[in-house]
Amino acid sequence: MKQSKKIGSKIYMAIMIIFFYLPIIYTIIFSFNSSRSLTKFGGFSLQWYQKMFHDSTMMQSIFYTIVIALLATLVSTIAGTITAIGLSKSNRILKGIVEQINDLPIMNPEIVTGIGLLMFFSALGVKKGFMTLLLAHIMFCIPYVILSVTPKLRSLDPNLADAALDLGATPWQALVKVIVPQIMPGIVSGALIAFTMSFDDFIISYFVTGNGVNNISILVYTMSKRINPSINALSSIIIVIITVVLLLVNIIPILKQKKEKTKYEA
Amino acid sequence: MKKLIQFKNIVKDFDGQLVLKGINLDIYENEFVTLLGPSGCGKTTLLRILGGFLNQTEGQVIFDNTEISHVPPYKREINTVFQKYALFPHMNVYDNIAFGLKIKKEPKDIIEQKVQRMLKLVNLEDYAKRNVTELSGGQQQRIAIARALVNEPMVLLLDEPLGALDLKLRKEMQHELKKIQQEVGITFIYVTHDQEEALTMSDKIVVMKDGEIQQIGSPTDIYNEPINEFVAKFIGESNIIDGVMLDDYRVMFEDKIFDCVDFGFDKNEKIDVVIRPEDLDIVPRKDGKLKGIVRSVLFKGVHYETIIETKVGTSITVQMKVSDEKPVINTEANEKMSANDFYLDVSDIEELTEATIVARADAQAWNPDTEEWISIQKISYDIKPENGTYPVTFSTAAGTSVTVNMIVKDENRVINKEYQEKIFAVNFFKTADEIKESIALETDLKTWANASAWSLDEDTPVEITSIHYDFDPENITVGTYNVTFATEGHEYMVDTTDKYEVGDEVGLMFQPQDIHIMKKG
Amino acid sequence: MKQFKNMTYPYILWISIMIVVPMFMILMYAFTKHGNDVATFWFTFENFTRFFSDIIFINVLKQSLYIAIITTILCILLGYPAAYIIANAKEKNKVFLILLITFPTWINMLVRTYAWMGILQDNGILNNILSLFGLQTKLLHTDFAVILGMVYNFIPFMILQIHTSLTKMDKSLLEAASDLGADKLQCFLKVTFPLSLPGVISGITLVFLPAMSSFFIPKLLGGGQYVLIGNVIESQFLTAGNWNFGSAISLIMAIIIMISMYITKKIEIRNSTGKGKILH
Repeated sequence: MKQSKKIGSKIYMAIMIIFFYLPIIYTIIFSFNSSRSLTKFGGFSLQWYQKMFHDSTMMQSIFYTIVIALLATLVSTIAGTITAIGLSKSNRILKGIVEQINDLPIMNPEIVTGIGLLMFFSALGVKKGFMTLLLAHIMFCIPYVILSVTPKLRSLDPNLADAALDLGATPWQALVKVIVPQIMPGIVSGALIAFTMSFDDFIISYFVTGNGVNNISILVYTMSKRINPSINALSSIIIVIITVVLLLVNIIPILKQKKEKTKYEA
Repeated sequence: MKKLIQFKNIVKDFDGQLVLKGINLDIYENEFVTLLGPSGCGKTTLLRILGGFLNQTEGQVIFDNTEISHVPPYKREINTVFQKYALFPHMNVYDNIAFGLKIKKEPKDIIEQKVQRMLKLVNLEDYAKRNVTELSGGQQQRIAIARALVNEPMVLLLDEPLGALDLKLRKEMQHELKKIQQEVGITFIYVTHDQEEALTMSDKIVVMKDGEIQQIGSPTDIYNEPINEFVAKFIGESNIIDGVMLDDYRVMFEDKIFDCVDFGFDKNEKIDVVIRPEDLDIVPRKDGKLKGIVRSVLFKGVHYETIIETKVGTSITVQMKVSDEKPVINTEANEKMSANDFYLDVSDIEELTEATIVARADAQAWNPDTEEWISIQKISYDIKPENGTYPVTFSTAAGTSVTVNMIVKDENRVINKEYQEKIFAVNFFKTADEIKESIALETDLKTWANASAWSLDEDTPVEITSIHYDFDPENITVGTYNVTFATEGHEYMVDTTDKYEVGDEVGLMFQPQDIHIMKKG
Repeated sequence: MKQFKNMTYPYILWISIMIVVPMFMILMYAFTKHGNDVATFWFTFENFTRFFSDIIFINVLKQSLYIAIITTILCILLGYPAAYIIANAKEKNKVFLILLITFPTWINMLVRTYAWMGILQDNGILNNILSLFGLQTKLLHTDFAVILGMVYNFIPFMILQIHTSLTKMDKSLLEAASDLGADKLQCFLKVTFPLSLPGVISGITLVFLPAMSSFFIPKLLGGGQYVLIGNVIESQFLTAGNWNFGSAISLIMAIIIMISMYITKKIEIRNSTGKGKILH
């Protein structure tokens, strides 16, 4: 009885996992397809990768996506961390209001955020392009950083900062030497979320960009009308990049721990 | 000795809530001062004001002859051992202790020397490279002390530092802390809610309550001459009795006159009498200054804590009428049903609900084969708020029904003027089986008799602590029995080395110097 | 440390400009129409009456609600067992399974949705498999494809939410329930499920909201002719250029989403208080 239940669970999870990974595997396989077909695998070839690397719009979109993601991550991580620390020391009313507004970009449908920014930028007369795209990405990334740093600040022993002051550290020294190292995991995961949010964003970017500044998502959307296996090559590259980033983020702390342990034992 | 710290009329207001109401306190060099009080009394707030983590709303803090209210914490020559230690988890033991010295940019070799000396002081020489999160509570505690002392402060503040440790470790650390304080020779200000900790370690105890200082004194002063009821109760166990000071050295309580050593009160002033449990002795009844009955005995390791009742509380006796009425049987629906008559007070009728009626009549229906309960579908009754007998009928969906009487009678209360208490209970009907089957007889008796007691001045409920009955619940037969309910009377806690049995009739003995007189209020 | 609160002020300025102002612009545009001059605006309800008096828009709204509700229900039905299985798995497997479920969400939604276009094509993998059973049928550019795309994209959120509420649950509650005589099914129905409801509710929020407003999934998997409310908003802004009308539609959509969320929360509260009453 119990055994059959376990097997049932296993089969169910297996089907779920296949469902989740089918498109990803499909994309990678067909990026090596020698034929143009999206349905029949004609043999192994790298022609779509070659095409992609020679397609300047594709290469440009990869460039923009990465540059925007890096800049947005950098700015939003710093700004979000600073704000989260400030909020943790603010009074309840101010904190409540800021947190409410902060939640808006997360809770609102992205399309609403997108059109709001579109109208806002054009009301200011800003030309749509790299700058507007970057500003929009910073705007929707900061809330995620704040959300991931705040719990770390909340679980921080409130006496830690006081202890640093007590031992002669100025508030700034207390911040740098005690608070920031303590909330580092929150900052790192905030940065990671910000990076992938920016890297993957489509809807908001779609509304606020212009003048040929496209990211990968927009490119896929506009190109999807025609059959173009280069998209599979592009997609595979994205999958590889994200996988590498995630692996690094997950493995580096483990390696570090191991290193420290061996050092400690020696 | 030199005055080191002066608190002058410190007031602290948190969003309109007064946490400190004008604290005046002097602390001298090399003193071990304990701020003692229940949580919320303001002791930690006062400590945090001294540490510089809070600003007082009013008043001055003078440290070494200078006003320091506007000096930030990192410029004060004061260090703190925090609640739960607040060690920096991302640094090892050495770096934690060296933190303050590194901030001051002291040379590396000096830091090394000082840290080693501190590790020696707290007996953790080999732990320098350890991660602080791997240490036990007691070890973390020592590191926190070392981290504070390495900065050579003039004052060390300790905020309930032993709160997180277990009893044995706490005792060890109490001695260790006292030893460290004597060795480094600086002022320790210690915050705790544990009176025993305060008594063992302090040179001076400051008892606080609701943001005010109650009493300042040495441990012996505070223990032997508590200034009021709060201090007496907070510091150790004590018996506190209402009394009247007839004249110097003459006090009356329990309607008797006793000699005492206190004087300087007004004639016939109402006072509180304090007698510590260890100052009372149990003697044969005829020799006692007070006479009573042993109510309970608890073994406390070295001694027995014996409670002697000298005067019973407010009591009421009601009759329990035991019948052998059989349940109604409905063979057609295969149901059994039972209920009993019950008494009510006129004042109950207003708030009478069906649930109350079911509970008081103990109405139940069940399937005799499966023993499963069947819900009572309908209750029909008609009642007026005046004395009389009113029928009530319970029926199930299958049509089984039982009719019983609700008897309204308003002579069911006893008022005790002396205690300002009122107790209430009614006669009740039960079958022998119900009494035999009860799994918590005293609670059931209270429910069946609807017994309750209130204080007359405050209209708050008073607990009924004693229930007395003259039947054997295992072998009860049809008849009428008395059940007596009573509130707590005058009780004395006595520490004895001999074991007495509950119910022993004994006398209580004490000497004039065992009686401590406190002003009321 | 109070001085640190000053660090909030730049962000307050930033959100006022970048979040609050755009939201107000949507409100303003929704209730106005252009005058003859660019600088003049008139207050009007015209944008709303236009939407509700046009059967085409009403049908789009109905279709969007239908798709979003079906998606949400499917996500609960398919996601709950998965979350339950993961929550009851061995600690080591648990971490691995959660990683497996989260990983795809880190990859661009468009990329993953685009892949489904190939899989669902008339002669694609899925139809090839179906044809083995003689069931070949049109998959791409149907309601089925759109719902599949949405369930695929949003179900991880549902699973993770339910899983969190299941693992947060105090295991001793289940022991207490079985100690008091509840069997496995009763334990689940009377303890586990009610206590996991908050997870289901936040899962619903995370699924219904994007499902209601999505526009690239219907475009890619439903085809160019397939129109949901998100597509209407998109076209009003990027092709038709009627910002006032587009703002009004997005406001209507936002209000519908808010009402749905409110109702869901209400149902949950009623459930939990109702349970409380029985206990008394």
